[in-house]
Amino acid sequence: MNRRTFLASGACLALSLACPPCPWIRNEAWAARDVTGEVFRDDAPDTLWKWSKEAFSYSRLDQGRVLCNVCPHACVLSPGDRSVCRNKINHQGSLYTLAYGNPCSVHLDPIEKKPLFHFLPGTSAYSLATTGCNFRCRNCQNWQISQKKPSQVRHQDLFPGEALKEASESGASSVAYTYSEPIAFIEYMADLAKLARDKGLANLLISNGFINDTPLRELCPHIQAANINLKAFSDEIYRTLNGGRLEPVLETLRTLHGEGVHLEITNLVVPGYTDDRDMVKKMCDWITDQLGPDCPLHFLRFIPRYKLDRLPPTPIPLLKDFRQLARNRGIRYVYIGNAPVPEGLNTYCHHCGELIIRRRGYQAPELGMEKGRCPSCGTEIPGVWS
Amino acid sequence: MGCKRLPQTDKHLIHALIAATGVSSVVTQLYAIRELLSQFSGNEFVISLIIFVWLILGGLGTLTAQTANRFRGVSLTALGWLSLLLACLSPGLILAIRFLRTALFTTGVSVGFYPVLGFICLVVGPLTFLVGFLLPYSLYSLRRKVPGYPGSRVYITDNLGDVSGGALFSFLLILFFTPLQALLLANLPLGLLSLGLIFLSARSNPLLLPAALLLVAGLGLPPLLSVQSLSTGHSGNLIHYQESKYQRIEVFRHKGQVTLFGDGGPMYSSRSSFLAEELVHYPLAQLDEAPQDVLLISARSDMLREIEKYDPDKVTYVELDPALTRVQFQYGLLQEYPGLRIIHQDARRYLSRTKQTFDAVIISFPQPQTFKGNRLFTREFFHMVQKHLSPSGVFSFSVRGYANYLSQSQERIVSCLHRTASQSFSRVLLLPGRRTVFLCRNGPLTANIPQRLRERGIRPPYIQGYFSGTVTQERISRLQERITSSAPVNRDLDPVLMRFVFSQWFAKHASSPLTFFALLGGLGIVYLLLSSREELVLFSTGFLTMGSEILIIFVFQIVFGYVYSMLGLIVTAFLAGLLPGALYGERLQYRGRRMLMATDLGLISCLGLLLLLLSLGWADCSKWIYLGLGFGIALLCGMQFPVALALKGDTDSVASKSFSADLFGAALGALLISVALIPYLGVTLAIMALMGLKIFSISLVGTPALGSNKR
Repeated sequence: MNRRTFLASGACLALSLACPPCPWIRNEAWAARDVTGEVFRDDAPDTLWKWSKEAFSYSRLDQGRVLCNVCPHACVLSPGDRSVCRNKINHQGSLYTLAYGNPCSVHLDPIEKKPLFHFLPGTSAYSLATTGCNFRCRNCQNWQISQKKPSQVRHQDLFPGEALKEASESGASSVAYTYSEPIAFIEYMADLAKLARDKGLANLLISNGFINDTPLRELCPHIQAANINLKAFSDEIYRTLNGGRLEPVLETLRTLHGEGVHLEITNLVVPGYTDDRDMVKKMCDWITDQLGPDCPLHFLRFIPRYKLDRLPPTPIPLLKDFRQLARNRGIRYVYIGNAPVPEGLNTYCHHCGELIIRRRGYQAPELGMEKGRCPSCGTEIPGVWS
Repeated sequence: MGCKRLPQTDKHLIHALIAATGVSSVVTQLYAIRELLSQFSGNEFVISLIIFVWLILGGLGTLTAQTANRFRGVSLTALGWLSLLLACLSPGLILAIRFLRTALFTTGVSVGFYPVLGFICLVVGPLTFLVGFLLPYSLYSLRRKVPGYPGSRVYITDNLGDVSGGALFSFLLILFFTPLQALLLANLPLGLLSLGLIFLSARSNPLLLPAALLLVAGLGLPPLLSVQSLSTGHSGNLIHYQESKYQRIEVFRHKGQVTLFGDGGPMYSSRSSFLAEELVHYPLAQLDEAPQDVLLISARSDMLREIEKYDPDKVTYVELDPALTRVQFQYGLLQEYPGLRIIHQDARRYLSRTKQTFDAVIISFPQPQTFKGNRLFTREFFHMVQKHLSPSGVFSFSVRGYANYLSQSQERIVSCLHRTASQSFSRVLLLPGRRTVFLCRNGPLTANIPQRLRERGIRPPYIQGYFSGTVTQERISRLQERITSSAPVNRDLDPVLMRFVFSQWFAKHASSPLTFFALLGGLGIVYLLLSSREELVLFSTGFLTMGSEILIIFVFQIVFGYVYSMLGLIVTAFLAGLLPGALYGERLQYRGRRMLMATDLGLISCLGLLLLLLSLGWADCSKWIYLGLGFGIALLCGMQFPVALALKGDTDSVASKSFSADLFGAALGALLISVALIPYLGVTLAIMALMGLKIFSISLVGTPALGSNKR
């Protein structure tokens, strides 16, 4: 081996040691503590398809670029680029959604599954989703659609008119925009919601709440109930586990509450991340302070899934402890989901403690209320009951 | 020779040091593989990546040693220090893997192909480089004192060390020690000998004391940090830790909940009755009468409690690992049952030997991620189960569930298993849920589980409450609609399921190995085009040696259901074969091309024998056959190296190129056999491909140009 080959070998070694890990370290290690998505450069299809529609909310910038105004990611797309949520593209200087009328998942679910416990209990929700999400949750249970582009999945041809027809025929009382992330298909959701409202169906927003104020306020008149997944009360955890930020979600909760949308909150208790008692205490204080004591809170048990599959499930005693903690902090209706804790599903009168609604999973609940009031003490139970 | 003679004691010391290096490197490699598999929920991609990186970086270390020699940077003192460094780093490697896994990646998150590759290069790479560096460096150190010192002695001594390391691992360390204790023991001789060499090379060396302290710290500290290193990133307290023959078992208690981790992943948790209900009641609800005997293959928490509701006379629980069942009962993850009979045996082996029939056979094993798991999801196994079912018996197994959308990768897995099960059962019903449960029977099956349970007076809370909202007729119909009737059948020796599982793994991590393989393929083609025929022969030999080793490891897994405790023996058999092969080859190198052709034919015969065993169904007749085959293949491969070297002319440059050819072939063989040939072609065709490679090699050897300058 001469000096040149020695240097070449050394360079190879250095490359093999340094270069291959570099991008991975960047993506998966240090910087990847923040999993916030990035714009997909030059990833847009050359032509639009049947399920394209010009986006509702965007601004045109210079050099053919556009700014998506829907969520706080504020994607700036050059022609040919695709948004973080994977559904929007810059096509010749205009922003288009590729997720309009092409849901990949459509089911009839009990409304309790959303979960919404204080809104039309015992009814069915015609639930649908297209692909796409503006988050990158490492424990997403719907990653097969949320982390995919519209062209990567099987989908149905179901424009708002047909979807409404199906929803009406299904016997559902509401249409739920759920599973993946409805903010990523806001155009489809908004058009269908308007039609559904006219037809007497309620609209349910089941979302991560990562949306800008203006589009949310435009949407609010058509939405009757929402369950927002407040994933953590920590911006750092939002960045690490979800690829989002806390403050915009809190803003969404304030807006929905202010606009009179029936609101319930879900909080997944992930061991080692969102199982910090102090954090939960702060979250509960924020909820009571900003949204009042009547906003139902659902603590969900974490089950290992998707990429976050090396953690244990949440301990049941911890969920029970958090439930009690939340009640002690003033939240009146606190539930435990995804866990064998029967009492965690029931609704008790916040005033006298009487059992008002007994739930057994997704079975039709046994309602013990009289015109939305506790039969024992007559206290009004917050919610939309019929 | 103008140099002074090396004192006998020094020579013995250096030889002992080389042997100790061999012991250290083999034991460290085996434990590193074990640790990485545990930290990355390793599948075959991970195994092959570790071996690939080990070979490539080890080879680079060897080449670098040659350069160090050229620049006269060789001394016995340096050899002593480098060996000491190796001894100290080896136990630390396991700690580094554990701590850096937590430091570099988000806690609890599994990672994909490229991060694993990067991690292996970064963490394991330096040590493999050092291991590769040390062997030739030892030779050059000796030659510095005794010019012309025969390299074969160093090679033989190292090989003896390797074989001893493999044997030590298999017969002693794995049985009685934790990895960190084992690495302390395996590296202690190397450390002490290194100190001895430092002392001998400079008796008044002031650094001797720091060296001794370094050794004490390097070897002594890691075992003390064992519990901390395992607890990193976990909530709760580690209340049980054990390295069984089959896996690492850890039990954590957190807020009153007990979770058992197997090989780093959560397996069972207390209060997990939802899944237990699905796995037990879906099949047992199908039976018209109370089951007499239920066979449970692997058992999740609370399953026995659910089975008890049917009051069967007997429950036979088959679990390969006795340590696992002991821990399950010890921590209340399973409950005692009066009619419970526990069989600690491989389920396939048990079924092949028992004449007993069962009213229900329930596999609660999760969706297979490796060849080992795949063997409970093949046509051959399903057929075996069917033979052990009573006429109205029911069989169930499950794969990963989905919330609201059956992805294409999961659809392929489900379709493949549906088709496979349909070969043995007239009815196969799929129920979606936390897991997609397959119900198989030669008789009627119903999806109305709650109704059947009501009729029996059994009221499991999850099914009573959640079934109607989760397993709706609409969801069942949509799932059945996605089944592709033309899906391939998953078989023991053609594990197509693994292809789909690998592709799902890549989909989950949104990556593809294509870039890596394209790069590797491009480099490979350039390399092969620039290589001489002798190098091509050695390339094929390296490919075949490593490919066969991997093949035998995987076939062993497929046939016997485990490999961990045999891994050391298989590796040892290969190492043990290489040494006499090389010695014998040196003696017979004068026979040149004929010798190469004869050994090539011998290799083809060995592979043919393996093929014969598999096709005649004798694959499980004895474990020793695999060791014998490994030894034979390695023996023949070992013979080829000196012969090819002699044909080309035994110069330093030729030796280096020949070594590279062998190494590159070996690295490629390890990778391609495991992740491409077996999943895509099946075991049979993979063996044939290796045979084909050697036929190609014979055609090269048969060409007159080969070695024409020499013979």
